[in-house]
Amino acid sequence: MLSFLDVYERAIKGPIMSEKDFDMKVFIPRLRNVVNAYGIQYNRETPVPSDDRAADHLYKAAVDFLSQVGIYCQNTNRIIQFTQEEILEAVRKASGKCFAGEGKEAGIFGMRKPDEQKAPWFHVGSGIVTTSEEMATNKIEGYASIAEVNSISIPALDSIRGIPVLAGSPAELYAAIRGIKIGREALRRAGRPGLPIMNLISTAAAAVTTIAASAPQFGLRITDGWLCGAISEMKIDFGTMNKVAYLLNWGANIGAETSPILGGYCGGPAGTAVVSTAYILMGLLVQKGNYQLHFPIHFKYGCCTTRDILWTVSVSCQAASRNIPMPVIWLGYTAAGPNTKMYFYEAAAYLLCAVASGAPSVQTPHPAKAVKMDGFTPMECKFGVETAKAATQASRQQANEKVIRLLEKYESQIEAPPSGSRYQDCYDVVSGKPGEAYVRLYDEVKEELARMGIPFSSKG
Amino acid sequence: MEQQEIFEKLSMAIIEGDENKAKAFAHEVLRSKIDPLEAVEQGLSKGMIVLGDRFEKGEIFLPDLLIAGDAFNSAIDVLKPAMEALKKNIAKVGTVLIGTVNGDVHGIGKNIVGIVLEANGFEVVDIGVDKPSLKFVEEAEKVKADVIGLSSLMTTTMTAQKEVIDILKEMNLRKKYWVVIGGGPVTQEWADQIGADGYAGSAFQAVHLIKRLLGQKKIGA
Ligand code: B12
Repeated sequence: MLSFLDVYERAIKGPIMSEKDFDMKVFIPRLRNVVNAYGIQYNRETPVPSDDRAADHLYKAAVDFLSQVGIYCQNTNRIIQFTQEEILEAVRKASGKCFAGEGKEAGIFGMRKPDEQKAPWFHVGSGIVTTSEEMATNKIEGYASIAEVNSISIPALDSIRGIPVLAGSPAELYAAIRGIKIGREALRRAGRPGLPIMNLISTAAAAVTTIAASAPQFGLRITDGWLCGAISEMKIDFGTMNKVAYLLNWGANIGAETSPILGGYCGGPAGTAVVSTAYILMGLLVQKGNYQLHFPIHFKYGCCTTRDILWTVSVSCQAASRNIPMPVIWLGYTAAGPNTKMYFYEAAAYLLCAVASGAPSVQTPHPAKAVKMDGFTPMECKFGVETAKAATQASRQQANEKVIRLLEKYESQIEAPPSGSRYQDCYDVVSGKPGEAYVRLYDEVKEELARMGIPFSSKG
Repeated sequence: MEQQEIFEKLSMAIIEGDENKAKAFAHEVLRSKIDPLEAVEQGLSKGMIVLGDRFEKGEIFLPDLLIAGDAFNSAIDVLKPAMEALKKNIAKVGTVLIGTVNGDVHGIGKNIVGIVLEANGFEVVDIGVDKPSLKFVEEAEKVKADVIGLSSLMTTTMTAQKEVIDILKEMNLRKKYWVVIGGGPVTQEWADQIGADGYAGSAFQAVHLIKRLLGQKKIGA
């Protein structure tokens, strides 16, 4: 099994090439060849296919693709290459388990298969920027108040004592440490101090900030989880590699963070499906992830709920869940913002698609492409957990039928979606409770979805 | 072959992303003594426009544009000596220097904007991601850019867009460039607030925006 130092050695000894040549002469043509050679084809009629053989075939295409292309290191301008044998060995040796949380909240985040009725690992919350510490605290308490929750993401702060946070600056380090303190404090107040925080460190864009704020005296534990991002497509830099090195030395949970972009270098859905699957292999081999946070997104709409992305998510999730022991959190971005019907339709489509396709975990779908400040509330988290639970009762085929019906409700509005409300517009900032209108909308949509046959449990 | 037919074939070669055909019909232009500049405008460029349109509609994707761009460039290479001999130049729409600001490694959106601008005839100089603010100014001076495009995907790096504009002002260079901004959290309001010349929410809007700006005269330039 290759150690991380072996990976690093390849980053300094692999074939040298400009980044542009890697994109144009390696990534694009070889991806095309693999898509053609394996005959991977998108079918817009079936956003959630039920074909195990096709899923396994896609997995083989991804192994082949990764062995042909490798990972580009931006600092050394060299390609980190792996043979098929090395890739397969990493898959064989992977445990498919991530140990997260402490005390009562300690849990094993493991695998699921397509059509399996077992509950996924419920990961809620988001790193969406929050403009006050009070709102950040309220939100986290709100997440933790949902009984089923296994792990959370905490918001990013945009300022510290009124000083705006600049990426990579001392203000970022202060805010990162403050963000962790707020997270721990809010979890304690909710009576669940052991819950793992698995989007570390949301406030930190720079690797040096992440590493510095991770010193245990600031409150983080090895059973939390750190995001170590690949750069799209199929690239990495020393910033991420330094984080990985630090976390490996500490024995802390590494979350490989990956985001293939449909319509970008991956081309259409077929190419993106291959790359999406290959990224899960990369998470094992390069970032040495204990878990992965994965979000294929659409280049034009910045969301994960268009028909072509849903298909891409479904097939790559099936390929990975059946073949690669890596607990992946599948994260969706919606076009519409919080407190809109469209958000709930999109979120339900994404969750049905991912859960039926065998997602080991799903995170609360992020409203408004995750770029609206304060554009996230615990209400979306509640909906995410309830819908994901209901989705475990649906086979891929049933999920497919429902996803098609949901698409009919929102597909035409993807181009110009409603941007929705901010937290402070639909929640009481002091009590941390949702406003009446939002509760009404929530109940209305849930009823409508239940009528469509989404089996919410009666306890709600 | 008729002139019109050759133009259509050139256009098709671009649409199909067929480098060999593009080169072959470019040679045909030379053999038939057709005005090479007209062949570019009526043939090659028309193909790119069709593709740009399909890309906007989501019917084709970035690699298709890139491959067509390669075919376009190799046909231009064939035609260039003839154009130079006739002292004709392809009208340059303008030079855009583009990059992602300091501290930010999100590059895909910026790449797409660059590629779509190129497909629309702009000269694009992409300086990459996570670039210090001063670097934008230095490079813009070096390549004699008309437009500086600043991409930022994070609230914590948006301030660097302002910083570039402030540096331009401090160096008395602000009037020399159009500054356009974009990226996930960026808005028109932010553009107004920091004194940028424009904001675009997508690559296509970026093309329209920059074309519109270049059609205006820079005050005091
Ligand atoms: C993909 C992605 C990544 C990938 C980036 C891959 C890459 N090579 O670019 C990876 C995984 C590496 C990544 C890392 C991180 N990310 Co990120 N990422 C995203 C995501 C999901 C999509 C961005 C994207 O590529 N969109 C697709 C492209 C095509 O769209 P676009 O960039 O908006 O570009 C279009 C337009 O905006 C416009 N445009 C863009 N640029 C320009 C420029 C000009 C001049 C013009 C006119 C127009 C224009 O045209 C483009 C094409 O149509 C966004 C969320 C989102 N929906 O935006 C988060 C997001 C930007 N990331 C975020 C975060 C927090 C991070 C990390 C800090 C996470 C971490 N802790 O490690 C790191 C950042 C590291 C760093 N120093 O930058 C946050 C930012 C929050 C904030 N502070 O504002 C976001 C908003 C998600 C979230 N809420 O959590 N990320």
